[in-house]
Amino acid sequence: MTSFSVIRWIVWKDFVTELRSRETISSMVFFALIVILIFSFSFSMDQQAAREVIAGIMWVAFAFTGIIGLGKSFSTELQNDCLEALQMVPEAKGAIYLGKVAANFAFMFVVEILLFPMFVILFNLEVVEEISLLLLVFFLATVGLSAIGTLFSALTVQIRAREVMLPILLLPLVVPVMIAAVEATKGALNGDPPAMYEQWLELLAIYDVVFTVVSFWMFEFVMDS
Amino acid sequence: MTNLHIRWGGVCIVAIVLIVLTYDHYRDNLASLAPQQVRQEAPKGDIRVLGMVQGGTLETRGAGEATFALLGEHASLPVHYEGPPPDNLRELKILVLIGTWNVGAQVFEARDIGIVPNYGFIAGAYLLGLLPLALLLFAMTRRVHFLYDEIKASKLYEEE
Amino acid sequence: MTIHRVIRKVQRFEGWFGGSAVLCLIAGLYLGLIGSPPDYYQGEVVRIMYIHVPLAHTALLAYIVLTIGSLWYLWKRDPIVDNMCQAVAGLSAVFTALALGTGMIWGKPTWDTWWTWDARLTSFTVLLLILIGYLMLRTFVDDPEKEARYGAILAIVGFVDLPIIHFSVEWWRTLHQPQSISMRGVSISSGLLVPLLFMSVGMSLLFSYMLMVRTQLLYLDRLLHAKKGRLLSQFHLSKSDS
Repeated sequence: MTSFSVIRWIVWKDFVTELRSRETISSMVFFALIVILIFSFSFSMDQQAAREVIAGIMWVAFAFTGIIGLGKSFSTELQNDCLEALQMVPEAKGAIYLGKVAANFAFMFVVEILLFPMFVILFNLEVVEEISLLLLVFFLATVGLSAIGTLFSALTVQIRAREVMLPILLLPLVVPVMIAAVEATKGALNGDPPAMYEQWLELLAIYDVVFTVVSFWMFEFVMDS
Repeated sequence: MTNLHIRWGGVCIVAIVLIVLTYDHYRDNLASLAPQQVRQEAPKGDIRVLGMVQGGTLETRGAGEATFALLGEHASLPVHYEGPPPDNLRELKILVLIGTWNVGAQVFEARDIGIVPNYGFIAGAYLLGLLPLALLLFAMTRRVHFLYDEIKASKLYEEE
Repeated sequence: MTIHRVIRKVQRFEGWFGGSAVLCLIAGLYLGLIGSPPDYYQGEVVRIMYIHVPLAHTALLAYIVLTIGSLWYLWKRDPIVDNMCQAVAGLSAVFTALALGTGMIWGKPTWDTWWTWDARLTSFTVLLLILIGYLMLRTFVDDPEKEARYGAILAIVGFVDLPIIHFSVEWWRTLHQPQSISMRGVSISSGLLVPLLFMSVGMSLLFSYMLMVRTQLLYLDRLLHAKKGRLLSQFHLSKSDS
């Protein structure tokens, strides 16, 4: 097996498990819906106020649902000692990392695409022209979240209190992603010219590259046994 | 008296000396009078008065002279200041004035204008910065000594 | 192993570090509190700088030491280096918390607010959160080798993240807050520099001394633990034999 086929098999395996159990995506979507509901109760908003805070609410919901998905990504491997089997893969451990990142990215992105229309309907947003830019923001931020989240999902899976430790370790580290995603989303929703929030997209791109490389390298040490 | 106690005793003595020296240095600056005290007691010599520059009373004449009223809780003082007015001299600003009270003319002759010193904040910051470090270090050294003794006493120590 | 010999050599001069730290701090405190003039804009409050800035410098220095130690650990897998990392993380958290606390006390008289989402304050808060996460992570792992490895990974990722966090917070702040609250007037003149230098050097020396003591403490703790465990198992083995 080449490294590339390791990546392909891991993605395929995660997709098939997800299709059969429908555990991860359904729990993520329902959790996000509840978060949206709670937020709409806590802030009574007209359309003007909604434009100001909606980007923040959106990314809080996406980050928390993302953490649910990331936590499940490696904890399912604990059943039947699948984690040990993964550690015994003769190829570079980085291939497992890339496969898991791809799968996590796909789940999170699908959930975000499913949820976005909910936001549009529930908060009366008007998005027609900015949709491609918004997709770019979602794409870049989700790559960043899944790149660093997959590393910490693997790192916390074998420790006590892993459900608590994953967000505690992950959230401070993704502060730049959250700031940049919220600012860029707000800019796109307000219909500002792209030049005004270009810098946030650049920041997201830099973060993605840096943390894919660093996590790829560090993953070797996580899986080291 | 172990070595540990002697060392920490020295640190404590040095700390006390520093605190006393600093207190001595600032003692004169700590106390200031309120305007009504100046009116009632009419103290002689150099005094420090704390109050707020009353709104609408500040007049500067040229570059070397200023008059204003210094407002306290119950009374205000007319103030005459000679010299280039400092940046801090603005209306509604709380200031400390150093100068003499002219009983005959009922005017405070200010020689120096300063902002209110916040010694409480300074003392708080230094205590917060240094005290926890000292306590932590003391606890750690004591624990190291305790562990050494423990290892010796339980005959666990052997050359490897 | 060479690193053991180096550590043992440095440990022999432990007392010198502690002594020179105390001397530097005494000189710095004397110069800062008594010897130096008050600042033109800030008045006497500027003296808080002599304690706040060295604490903040030392916290960053500690994090750099933690990163180097973590890289070294992942490379050589040396348990004593891991002891050092654990010690330095705890100290770094203490120094960061104290730097934040003194910063808040400085902010009250100068900016008239205890807290502002200033870029430096915010990134120090995130640093403190990362360090607390590091210390928590270490308590939640059972296997000491795994504990060391996971801690090192978190420290390195956090180190790479810190500059990005700082820049993103700085950009965010310039968007949302007027620049009126700034460090105006604290241009470092030579009168301020000398006590600051003494305090900074003294604080770094104090940190090195505390690091040595704490490394020793953790090492002895583990030694005692291991030996007690070994004696206990020998005792049980001899019992089951007879």
